[in-house]
Amino acid sequence: MIPYTTEARTDTGVSNVTLGFWLFIASEVMLFGALFSSYALLRVSAPDWPAGGDMLVTALGVTNTALLMALTAVAWRAGRTRPASARWLLVIASAVALLFLLTLGLEYSGQWRSGHVPATSTFFAMYYTLTGIHALHVLGGIIANLWVIAATTSVDDALTSARLRVMSHYWMFVALVWIVMFVGLYLS
Amino acid sequence: MRIFSSDHKVVGLQYGVTSLAFLLLGFLLILLVRWQIAWPGEMLPEFYNQLGAMHGTIMVFLAVVPLAVGAFGNYFVPILIGAPDMAFPRLNMLSFWLYFVAGLIMLASFFLPGGAASSGWTAYPPLSILATSGQTAWLLGMFVLIVSSLFSSINIIVTILQLRAPGLTMMKLPFFIWSQLVTSFLLLLAFPPLQAAAILQLMDRLAGTSFFLPSGLVVSGKVLEVSGGGSPILWQHLFWFLAHPEVYVLILPAFGIVAEVITASTRRPLWGYRGMVGAALFMGFMSFLVWAHHMFLTGMGPTMSAFFQITTMIISVPSVIILSSLVLSLHGGSIRFTAAAMFGIAFLPMFGLGGLTGLPLGLAASDIPLHDTYYVIGHFHYIVAPGTLFAIFAGIYHWFPQISGRALNERLGRLHFWGSLIAMNVIFMPMFAQGLAGLNRRLYDGGRTYTASAGFEFSYELQAWAAVALGLVQLFFILNLVLTLRRPR
Repeated sequence: MIPYTTEARTDTGVSNVTLGFWLFIASEVMLFGALFSSYALLRVSAPDWPAGGDMLVTALGVTNTALLMALTAVAWRAGRTRPASARWLLVIASAVALLFLLTLGLEYSGQWRSGHVPATSTFFAMYYTLTGIHALHVLGGIIANLWVIAATTSVDDALTSARLRVMSHYWMFVALVWIVMFVGLYLS
Repeated sequence: MRIFSSDHKVVGLQYGVTSLAFLLLGFLLILLVRWQIAWPGEMLPEFYNQLGAMHGTIMVFLAVVPLAVGAFGNYFVPILIGAPDMAFPRLNMLSFWLYFVAGLIMLASFFLPGGAASSGWTAYPPLSILATSGQTAWLLGMFVLIVSSLFSSINIIVTILQLRAPGLTMMKLPFFIWSQLVTSFLLLLAFPPLQAAAILQLMDRLAGTSFFLPSGLVVSGKVLEVSGGGSPILWQHLFWFLAHPEVYVLILPAFGIVAEVITASTRRPLWGYRGMVGAALFMGFMSFLVWAHHMFLTGMGPTMSAFFQITTMIISVPSVIILSSLVLSLHGGSIRFTAAAMFGIAFLPMFGLGGLTGLPLGLAASDIPLHDTYYVIGHFHYIVAPGTLFAIFAGIYHWFPQISGRALNERLGRLHFWGSLIAMNVIFMPMFAQGLAGLNRRLYDGGRTYTASAGFEFSYELQAWAAVALGLVQLFFILNLVLTLRRPR
């Protein structure tokens, strides 16, 4: 009933789903932009700031970076595969995303045991807040993945393909944000 | 009519009815405030602070923006561009219900121990972090509301760009549609930083972090035991990065509605359409570069102040272009003075007054003595009350026949108009004098312990009576709605 949901409109060159998705990403950029700016402002105005490597477990950060790279590759593949076979790729992607959350949980519990809670210092406050909001995006991605998988039988293939493509871009964005966080928190 | 409907007209009406209810509630809260200022009585300062904070929050976030964008945007954007519905109807429905939940959270906060949020609609830390649990509810409510606004703005932008009827090119769109488009971009891009700020403030309140709490903060004679190192100014930057574009979110749809009403009442096309579109786009862009003119008192230094003073003076130009075009659109027309036209035409000088009185606030030298005085309150209420609200009333009178199949009663409409115009001016005009005398906006006894308040008691009483009158005049409007809807088509 609504035209141009999945097919591109000739004068704008995009479909509704594509345009809506990129507008969503624009607002997400503003959200993370504000968070990163806050981080930068608090960090430069602090008299001393710990090195991320001394406070955080870099090995776990590297593991998570690798997991998100793999996840992006799988999701990218799923965005360019026929809906029937793409479903399994999304299942794998969701499993990798779950592993990412488990690794982060592992690091959280380790920090918590050594008494590093958000109230400890602005460094840990930033660490928990930034990674926490990012983790919520990973969780949201898993739910969206499952929703796309569940809906493959009830909507036509064109819509599923559009959704798969959106998910592949979404995971890429999530990985990109993580890389900025990884560099900002663990490596500097 | 189904309650959970994804039809854009149903969603638009749901937005309209809910936000009008919030408008009434926001007004009743401030009526108590005006009464308290005129005759300081038993009211506790804590309760007074809740009334002020929730009046601002409800009016801006739950009444005026949902009316201007949620109601008018959802209802008329698809109709005016020939689209079957919004681009994402289910998302649209979700947007309304999230707004509804946000409203319920805000309302429920009045019943929390310690009451609703009391740190002003700007929620400045450190006060807001030390405040009672109402502030937590406020932050959660804002969070939900921002998600709602995100869905709504994506929907409006995609609908306008993608679902235009064939051959309806961008420069043929009604100015109303352009105003909704620019407004939606502002909502889309300006609200997320406040969402980030709300998360950080929630962390400060619930997890004991110190994003906005400096080291060594002394509260009630004791040093606060927090890790410290935060910056209260950071909140102000994040808040005003939203809240200045928010001002244009309040005014742009009003321009759009008035343009529709004026062209219909004068039976002439809009004067200077291309200039108006360009001005709206330029205004939308510039609105992201002026936020720190709310922060001249934070000691951010003359270089920063100079930058934001210049951008503020520049952004007044597109407002003048749009306002002048609207005035010139009246020229040579044969105006039918219906209630809609009267509200629409009165919008022009009232908004002009609000805009002109804003110029001294955009310059640091004159803003510093006027900051946080009643002068500021007078200035932005002229923009939002006889400004945006008049435009919204003009839109309701103008489009009511199209919505319901019946026209509103003209006689009651005119009583509503003249009563509102006079009452609002009696309320807001004395604020300029009070502010110039140095009266601070947040004093629960009207500043009676300060010499600056001497001689203003009479104006306080006048304002209180005018506020009562303003409330009574709105009964004409409510009566009009009820009587008209009960009449057969």
